[in-house]
Amino acid sequence: MTRWFLFILAILAGIAAGLFYAWKVNPVKIVDTTPETLRIDYKTDYVLMVAESYRSDRDLGLAQERLALLGSLPPGDIVQQAIQFAERNGYIAADLAQMQALTQALQTGSAAVETPTP
Amino acid sequence: MRENRGPWYLLTGLVLGLAISLVYAWVFRPADNANTSPAALEPGSKDRYRALIASAYQADGDLVRAKARLELLKDPDPYQALAGQAQRALADGSSTAEARALGLLSLALGQARSLSATPLAPSPAISPTLPPPAPVTGTLTATLPSQAPPGAFLPAPGTPTPGTQPAPEISPTPAERIGLAVSLTVTPASVALALKATGSSPAGKASPTPGAPFVLSKRELACPQNLSEPLIQVQAYDAAGKPVPGVEVIITWAGGAERFFTGLKSDQGPGYGDFTMASGITYTVQLGESGQPAGDLAAAECAASGPQRQWGSWVLSFKQP
Repeated sequence: MTRWFLFILAILAGIAAGLFYAWKVNPVKIVDTTPETLRIDYKTDYVLMVAESYRSDRDLGLAQERLALLGSLPPGDIVQQAIQFAERNGYIAADLAQMQALTQALQTGSAAVETPTP
Repeated sequence: MRENRGPWYLLTGLVLGLAISLVYAWVFRPADNANTSPAALEPGSKDRYRALIASAYQADGDLVRAKARLELLKDPDPYQALAGQAQRALADGSSTAEARALGLLSLALGQARSLSATPLAPSPAISPTLPPPAPVTGTLTATLPSQAPPGAFLPAPGTPTPGTQPAPEISPTPAERIGLAVSLTVTPASVALALKATGSSPAGKASPTPGAPFVLSKRELACPQNLSEPLIQVQAYDAAGKPVPGVEVIITWAGGAERFFTGLKSDQGPGYGDFTMASGITYTVQLGESGQPAGDLAAAECAASGPQRQWGSWVLSFKQP
């Protein structure tokens, strides 16, 4: 009975040591990823950069192209997610305003595409 | 009779536990794949990310923020990475605007390095429509509210966008601040020079080389040792005789043209740029669209001391009158 107890204890010790090694000492390194896999704070900053660039160049197509790298969601939804994160985390008003301006431009641009002029 | 197996069963249990946990941790539950940092991006995505940083910098002129963003990519030398990407973008001709933005950010980084040690007077190159940013000296930190996840990246509130953003905070209460802490001395001069280099200011109104067009002030054939290819070496100076980065150099020849900017080779000085000539072709060089052209430049040899050919280098200095 004591032998079984010690055997199971040895297995548990091995598991603990293995997890420590695999998660802390030598974790799997994720490389060669795409912007879609970025953490939400990095994604938000990416969106902010797109908004800053858009404010300068007014190139909505380029902004949409850049936002498309963040996933398959519509660009407007991606910007909305970024705005929500920014609001929760105390981004300065000027940054929020730039992202909101981009949202408006995307909505206006989409509407213009959906409603062709007669 | 009882068999004495010793403590080997303990080692067996330990090895079994290790194997189980390693398979679980490395195969079934590795690090979270959907929460990566910009440093983990594949090279093409890193290039796009870097170009976006440069584009955002060109829009807002916020060097502190651009620097913090570049650090996320963990390039060994961000300056070289930017300059190299700018050269590649120019070479493939896909996006001149992108190449310009990358080049200008690399120049601004280089200027900030040197100017943090020796601040200069504000440059008069800024357009009157663009008020100079407030001087900021000290450690700039990003404020992370309590609900922000630990270590979350928030953009550094660096130099304010003229007229739109408040002045950055200067590290008063470290207890409330975690994450980004960018130690960088930013002076009006560094921003001014960055803008001077841009040719497209945050407001898109500053000129990279304001004033009179560049005129040729010196032209000579130099014979440096061990020059493997014939070169055209360009130096751009302003009216005060200071090297000017970010000046567009236009080289034309029968059936072709090439454009690049001064200052992308940091080891040669901020006003320097060079071009490798092909033999048998005559080139014309001018700085900017309205600069004075220097023509009839062809690969030339110097008197060689040995059996090998000794190529010469055309050294052209352009100056604003």
